[in-house]
Amino acid sequence: TEQAAIGKLNTQAASNGTLFKLVIFSLSLGIIPLTSYYGSLFYLWNGNSTLAAITAIVAANLVLIAYIVLSVLEDKQA
Amino acid sequence: MSVCPPYAPFFGFAGVASAMVLSTIGAAFGTAKAGIGIAGLGTFKPELIMKSLIPVVMSGIIAVYGLVVSVLISGALTPEGYPLFAGFIHLGAGLACGFTGLTAGYAIGIVGDACVRAYVQESKVFVSMVLILIFAEVLGLYGLIVALIMNSKVAGGVGEICYS
Repeated sequence: TEQAAIGKLNTQAASNGTLFKLVIFSLSLGIIPLTSYYGSLFYLWNGNSTLAAITAIVAANLVLIAYIVLSVLEDKQA
Repeated sequence: MSVCPPYAPFFGFAGVASAMVLSTIGAAFGTAKAGIGIAGLGTFKPELIMKSLIPVVMSGIIAVYGLVVSVLISGALTPEGYPLFAGFIHLGAGLACGFTGLTAGYAIGIVGDACVRAYVQESKVFVSMVLILIFAEVLGLYGLIVALIMNSKVAGGVGEICYS
């Protein structure tokens, strides 16, 4: 019955997309800061690398805040 | 005494490496220590796992701080026209970001481990856990700010003093 409970939890996690959300967050935590650094360096700040670094840090912290909000909402749902 | 010796990029690259390596050591310790607590929590209450992964995500942010500083510094390194002043500044910036990331990751790990274990028994611990983790995270942010301020002194390009 222990294995049955684990299996039920896995299907539950797969159906509400928990693993998918975690994968998306892991990838975005790697991709979003770098793309926002280089993108803002060339298109927003005209080569000012300090402002581009600040943009990348703000983007990474937004990903963190989005994760916290999403996990609290998911807990309220269940 | 030359202003732009050929060994000046050594210090710049040491700054790049130390920013990435040291902040990653902190992030790895934070992830591992918090992960132990989350594995313990997962055996009792698996539905709380998404919320209790917050220390792990915050450790990842510490590594991102080190990554951004490394990318920032390495964008300014050149073989020609690189004064020793810029080399020392880049080394200082990398060490500032790296060591503060190490300390922040250490704090996040220990706090995350203890708080997720307490979260199993008392759900009101969650808000205080997030608050303590945010305070631990801004330690790394301070190091990043100092690194950015130091780097901005040579961000405009100071290679002209090599040729004067």
